[in-house]
Amino acid sequence: MRRLLLPIFALVSLLALTGCGVNAIPTHEESAKAAWGEVLNQYKRRADLIPNLVETVKGFAAQEKDVLTSVVEARAKATQVTLPDDILSNPEAFKVFQENQAALSGALARLLAVVEAYPDLKSNQNFLALQSQLEGTENRIAVARRDYIEAVRVYNTELRTIPGRWWASLLYPDAAAMETFAIDLQSRENPTVKFN
Amino acid sequence: MRAPDIRRCKVSSGFTSSGLTSAGLRSAGLRSFGLSTIIWLSVIFGAAPAVALDFPALTGRVVDAADVIEPAAEAAIVAKLAAHETASSDQVVVATLPSLEGEGLEDFANRLFRSWQLGQAGENNGVLLLVAVNDRKIRIEVGYGLEGILTDALSRLVIENSMVPAFRAGDYGRGVDAGVTDILSILSGDAAGVEDRARRLLDTPPSGLEEALNTLFVALVFLIFFLSFLFAILAPLFGEKIGKNTYRWLGVTMTAGQSSGSADSGRSGWSPESSGGGFSGGGGSSGGGGASGGW
Repeated sequence: MRRLLLPIFALVSLLALTGCGVNAIPTHEESAKAAWGEVLNQYKRRADLIPNLVETVKGFAAQEKDVLTSVVEARAKATQVTLPDDILSNPEAFKVFQENQAALSGALARLLAVVEAYPDLKSNQNFLALQSQLEGTENRIAVARRDYIEAVRVYNTELRTIPGRWWASLLYPDAAAMETFAIDLQSRENPTVKFN
Repeated sequence: MRAPDIRRCKVSSGFTSSGLTSAGLRSAGLRSFGLSTIIWLSVIFGAAPAVALDFPALTGRVVDAADVIEPAAEAAIVAKLAAHETASSDQVVVATLPSLEGEGLEDFANRLFRSWQLGQAGENNGVLLLVAVNDRKIRIEVGYGLEGILTDALSRLVIENSMVPAFRAGDYGRGVDAGVTDILSILSGDAAGVEDRARRLLDTPPSGLEEALNTLFVALVFLIFFLSFLFAILAPLFGEKIGKNTYRWLGVTMTAGQSSGSADSGRSGWSPESSGGGFSGGGGSSGGGGASGGW
């Protein structure tokens, strides 16, 4: 009977530990990964809208070749890169991903600025629908990024503070801090408008 | 959901660390107590994020914080919204603000939506129509579940065609009423969808209080089961033997190897309790769907 004592004690202490964060690291890791999935989903949605948008603009403003080409190229660059599995804990890969998406955002912003000069295009129903979808997607990207940043903050904090730090060294030695979005200096500057 | 979890862990870590140090270094016990108090305080006060613009309280289906909608118009709008929620379970809420105080419209609308938890949990069928009067901005924020019906393009059309003209004329009540009418007609235009959402709401038991009670009940049953199991094992180990297979421990006599008589469990069914009177969000969320506009 006394041999049972140790396993019972282990069971009870294990149950007590679950109340105190032994599961916190995997839980937060999964929610951060889910938030990342949503970020990718919204970026993909934006990439899917672009061919239609480019075709519509071409119908009215084919002479804006430079801007249209830069959008198509930026899209190709952003979608063709295969993301490594460890992108979330790999600063270089994460930076490349972020730069590619930022380049596409910049090209799209230029395209939408150029469009202002074409009243026919601006009043085209198809274009208006695409424009509002694109705006909605940009907003969803912003929300998804915000959620991801928050999820990563929670996860990284858990990983770096006690008792999460102890659990990580004891049970989850593979858990690594995740990368998060940062606003680089270039995009922090306000866009400038030139009249020539 | 996340925050209290973390705080609980921090608190228990405070216990552990102070327990460890006072066991090891008794002289440093007082200092570690002071330290853990500081950690406690920083955890408790640091948890509250600093928000520049406070969210108004969700006092009803129309939260007219800017006070631009006449009472009669407001009552008519509230009646429409309530009728639509009864039919479909969609929660459409109107909010007006005097000013955004420098906050971004889209970002603020999304955070307000999530803080109010508009729409039913699981369905996420809420819509927030936000008007920032001094900023001259309108936002229709659509919950995840309605993004396919009230699309970004349609939301934009509602703003541009129904609301902006009335707002330019300074008639906010009429503008909001027209916007709400359009939103509701789009939402109920998908008749099959309306029926589906309403039926799912009836099928799934209402969340909130009932869910909490159910969880509590299950937890209680488990606790009783677990404790009696534990007792049956521990009593022979720690208890005093007072007869054949009979032990006394902690003032309770237990006979081992004998099936205990089935206790009469007075189980009563939980009757669903409807929330009376007040209006509150159903637990829905939004991912930034909808459209913005201005006048």
